[in-house]
Amino acid sequence: MEFGWTEDEEAFRCELLDFLRETLPQDWEEIAKDGPGSDVQATFSREFCGLLASRGWLTQHWPREYGGRDASPWRHAILGEELWARGEPRGPQYMNVNWIGPTIMAFGSAEQKREHLPRISRGDVLWCQGFSEPQAGSDLVALRTLATRDGDAYVVNGTKIWTSYANYAEFCFLVVRTDPESKRHRGISVLLMPMSLPGVEIREIPSVVGERYFHEVFLSDVRVPASCRLGPENDGWSVVTYALQFERVGAARYARAALTLDGLATRLAKEGRLEDPTVQEKLGRARAICEAARLLSYRVIDLRAHGQPPSADSNVARVAGTFADRVVGELGLDLFGPDAFEYGGFAESNFRLAMTAGVAVGATEVQLNLIAQRFLGLPQE
Amino acid sequence: MDFELADDQRAIVEAVDTLLAQHAGPKRAIELFVSGDYDAPLEAALGKAGFLEVALAAEAGPLEAALCVEAVARAAGAVAIGASALVAPGVAGRMLPGPVALASADASPIVRFGAHARTLLVADPQAGSARIVALSAGDAEPVRSNFGYPMGRVARALKKSGERLAPGSHERLLAWWRVALATEAAGTMRAALGVTIDYLKQRRQFGRSIASFQAVQHRLAECAVMVEGARWLAFEAAWRGAPAEAAATAAAYAAAAAARVFLETHQLSGAIGYTREHDLHVFSMRLEALRLELGGVGGHRRSLARTRWGGAA
Repeated sequence: MEFGWTEDEEAFRCELLDFLRETLPQDWEEIAKDGPGSDVQATFSREFCGLLASRGWLTQHWPREYGGRDASPWRHAILGEELWARGEPRGPQYMNVNWIGPTIMAFGSAEQKREHLPRISRGDVLWCQGFSEPQAGSDLVALRTLATRDGDAYVVNGTKIWTSYANYAEFCFLVVRTDPESKRHRGISVLLMPMSLPGVEIREIPSVVGERYFHEVFLSDVRVPASCRLGPENDGWSVVTYALQFERVGAARYARAALTLDGLATRLAKEGRLEDPTVQEKLGRARAICEAARLLSYRVIDLRAHGQPPSADSNVARVAGTFADRVVGELGLDLFGPDAFEYGGFAESNFRLAMTAGVAVGATEVQLNLIAQRFLGLPQE
Repeated sequence: MDFELADDQRAIVEAVDTLLAQHAGPKRAIELFVSGDYDAPLEAALGKAGFLEVALAAEAGPLEAALCVEAVARAAGAVAIGASALVAPGVAGRMLPGPVALASADASPIVRFGAHARTLLVADPQAGSARIVALSAGDAEPVRSNFGYPMGRVARALKKSGERLAPGSHERLLAWWRVALATEAAGTMRAALGVTIDYLKQRRQFGRSIASFQAVQHRLAECAVMVEGARWLAFEAAWRGAPAEAAATAAAYAAAAAARVFLETHQLSGAIGYTREHDLHVFSMRLEALRLELGGVGGHRRSLARTRWGGAA
């Protein structure tokens, strides 16, 4: 056990920070305030990910045969930490490199790997994820979107919801039911669906989180080539659970929360409020929570670095990250009061992004169930 | 970065666990609770085996010492190992005659292990240094307490006596004290949660195991997140040599977690949790003592904020 960085990791972080200073525009903080799903960030991400890719950093943790450099998971974690601490200039592409690519590596056909992995590795493709449905939220296996085999294609009908980035994405990691008689975990398959197919319709769901944050994706008789199926027919649940283990800690949200907290402290210092012991206590509390989330996320990366299979440690890290997001989001409002009411301000922007923390990517309650049963060994209800 | 124990670290942890299985444990802690005694035989055994000097050993260091401190806390050892094995080496750079107790010059006279200590390490911000005070039997009087450790009352004059260490040494003392506190709290919380889970699994009500209720599971799961977080923060701070910010971070997190773990473990265990026949109180009452020491959670949080962002004390 030790908590240091290797020389290589230190050097990489320095090089990365130099690169970010040169690459990110002066007004980046302003651009970043709407989060990875905003128009500017999604657009910027194509250029930026291309630059990361040309340095060999975008997918450095991937195997060489798929466009990576066999780099340690720690180097990729450093990348994620520094980028999330700057509002994630990769935009939606953090999903591609963290879990969509690795899931295609694990389950994809040779043709699928050839089609998708080089593009992800070059940083010029956007994806969205088709998981939730109006009747299948936390209870994902209640999903109903039906893919009926017809010759060399699946005819897909159904509705996906809460789909971030659907408006930009070229592909959707789509979870469907291929056996209409099936129940729950059986009969599910995954399709790598081009969003340009006829019958795919996207509608924005206006929300308080921000513009173009949520979408509904309507699928009406969409003919998806059977060659787009990822993994076995009717056993797609194994693909989904594999992907979710990566997704849950893929985003270094603790780094964003910690950055926001530093930003709050800087603003409080300007107002001379850091002398206030109550303010100090609130900031100290939030900082400690962010730090715990950092180490619990590191624990998951450490397991990966040791070649361990995904475990409930990723749920522990996810819950800790949610605490951090929530505490910092709420604190910004507490400290600035009605000044935070104005849309687009620092505390307000962060609050908007933070308030979805316990719901996005699986409700906290589901994470707690998994911790109870798999981490603590408690009996199923 | 490596969260797994290396072979030599595993050997240390296994050896100290073996020793603790013989000499410590909740049963022993309950006997000592009742008599108010210090576990001198345990301290002697730990000392003889070299576990109090791990921080100064060439092939080990403060992280290995923290691993021992955490193990002793898990086993409810009634010894001042945090002060002996982590704080004394960190502040004085050498072993001090044990038991070692820790005190703040201007804080409460009630000091954990105060009546049994032979050495008192005092943080004296007014004097701008730490002090090492040699204590003789009778210098401090025992204080009856329900909070899981033998306590003593140490007069202010005594705390202001003794050898003054280098200027600024009180800051080092506060930082190492925070790391020791956080490490002890981490081990104690882990044990409290473990005792609770074991009990809830076998306790049946409404025709089923209490541990199968989701309302119960979510609370235990949240506690588990905090216990894990506290442990890694404490170990990281020890490994880094107790920089002020990391030390305050570990203590702030652990003190807040301790309050929550106390509340949840007792609430979920029901009346049996308060009795001397059940092990929970051995750990839970100590959590209250640990979370209040050295200014409590508010003091740790303020220290963390001041170290990170500036601002006056």
